[in-house]
Amino acid sequence: MKKLFPILLTTLALISCEKEADIDRLDNEYMVFTNHDTNAQFNDCNTFYLPDSILIIGDKKDPEYWKDEKARTLIDTFVSQMNASGYTRTSEKGNADLGLQISYITSTYYFQEYYNDGPWWGYYPGYWYPGYWGGNWGGGWYYPYSIVYRYSTGALLADMVNLKHAPEGQKEKLTVVWNAYISGLTGSGNSLNLNRTITAIDQAFTQSPYLKKTSEN
Amino acid sequence: MKTIKYLIFQMMAVSAIIITFAIPAKAQITPFTYFNADWQFNAPISNDFANKASGWGMNFEGGYYVLPDLAIGAFINYHTNHQYIPRQTLPVNNSAALTTDQQHSVFQLPFGLATRYRFNDGVFQPYIGMKLGANYTKMSSDFYIYEATDNTWGLYVSPEIGINIYPWTNGIGLHLAAFYNYSTNKGNVLNYDIDKLNNWGLRVGVAF
Repeated sequence: MKKLFPILLTTLALISCEKEADIDRLDNEYMVFTNHDTNAQFNDCNTFYLPDSILIIGDKKDPEYWKDEKARTLIDTFVSQMNASGYTRTSEKGNADLGLQISYITSTYYFQEYYNDGPWWGYYPGYWYPGYWGGNWGGGWYYPYSIVYRYSTGALLADMVNLKHAPEGQKEKLTVVWNAYISGLTGSGNSLNLNRTITAIDQAFTQSPYLKKTSEN
Repeated sequence: MKTIKYLIFQMMAVSAIIITFAIPAKAQITPFTYFNADWQFNAPISNDFANKASGWGMNFEGGYYVLPDLAIGAFINYHTNHQYIPRQTLPVNNSAALTTDQQHSVFQLPFGLATRYRFNDGVFQPYIGMKLGANYTKMSSDFYIYEATDNTWGLYVSPEIGINIYPWTNGIGLHLAAFYNYSTNKGNVLNYDIDKLNNWGLRVGVAF
C-alpha cells in the first residue's frame, strides 16, 4: 500500500490541472458590448446633441478633453451613424431629444485605487454629470440594464440619454437609454488604432437596430 | 566472435520474454485490488459549445475484488475540451449584444463509484466496467480580457471496456480502455445553452 500514497498525492495535484483556454488564439481585435433600455422610445426622438470633444478618463485629478483630428474623426463617425439612424445633430443642448457623451479610458487608476464599490466613472473628476445636460436630475445616473463594470484601458464608452422623456426633480435620475463599451482599440505602442476604432463604432450601431428614427414619425 | 555475442544476447532476450510471460497470474501488487492511472483522450458528442477532441485529461481508479472477478471501487478523472468561436455578434439577452471572438472550454471532473468485471485473472485481464457518480463541470467562454462561466453539477454514468496487462513481476502493468460517458449537466454561458454532455474516449496508462 505504501506505493499507492505517491500516486494518490499525484492524483490530488493533477485535479487542479484544468487546461486553460488558449487565449493567444483570439484575434486581438475589438470587442463591442451594447445594451439599451427596452422601454426607451427611440422612435419618438428627432435631434441629438454630441459635444465636440471626448472626455479622457485617465489618472489626473483635473478633467482632460480630447479634441485633435483623431478625436474629431471618431466624433464624426458617431455623427454619421446617428444621421444614418434618422437623427439630426443640433448645436443647442436645450433643443436635443437625445444626448450622447463619449469617453476614452487611458487609465483605470481611479477604479483600482479609490473607488471599487460602485460605478467608478460616476466619481471620476470631471466625468459627465447629469446636470451637464441642463436639467435637474438630483438622483444621478440610472442604467435600467446590466453594464460592464470592469473596464480596460484603450476603450471607448458611449452613453446616450433621453432628454425628451426625462422627468426632472431632486430625486429623479437621468436614464442612460443606450450604452456602448468598445474595447481593444489600441495597436502597437499602445496607441489608438483609428481604423479599428471606426469599424468598432460602426459595429456598435449595427448591433443596435432599435436605435432608429423611422420615417412615419 | 560478434556472431556468438549476438546469439547469446538473442537467447538472453528471448529468455527474458519467456520468463516475463511465464510469471504466475495475479501479478498486480495484491491479488484482490487494482489501480489505474491513465492519460485520457476525450471526444465530445453532439456538443456545439466545446466540441474539439483533446488529450487534456487523466483518469484515476482503484477497486477491490469483492468476488474473484467482480470489483467495486472509486474513480476520479478530469478533462478539458475547447472550441474556438470566430468573431460574431451575440444577443446576450433581450437588450444587450456582444461582438467578439471566443474560446470556449468545458472542464469536466466526474467522480464516484466504479464497478468492474474481469474475464480473466491472469496476465491479460480484459474487463467491462461501469462508473456512476457526480460530474462537476465548468463551462466557460473567454473573450478579450473577460470570461463568462457557469459551474454545473450533474449525474454521471460511463460504461467502459478495457484490459489490464501484467507482464512483469514487479506488479506494474499496462492499462488500455475505451469509454462512453453521459452526464445530466445543464449550463448557460452568454447566449449558449448546454444541456447534457456526451463523450467517448480512450485511456492509456499504468495498472497496479
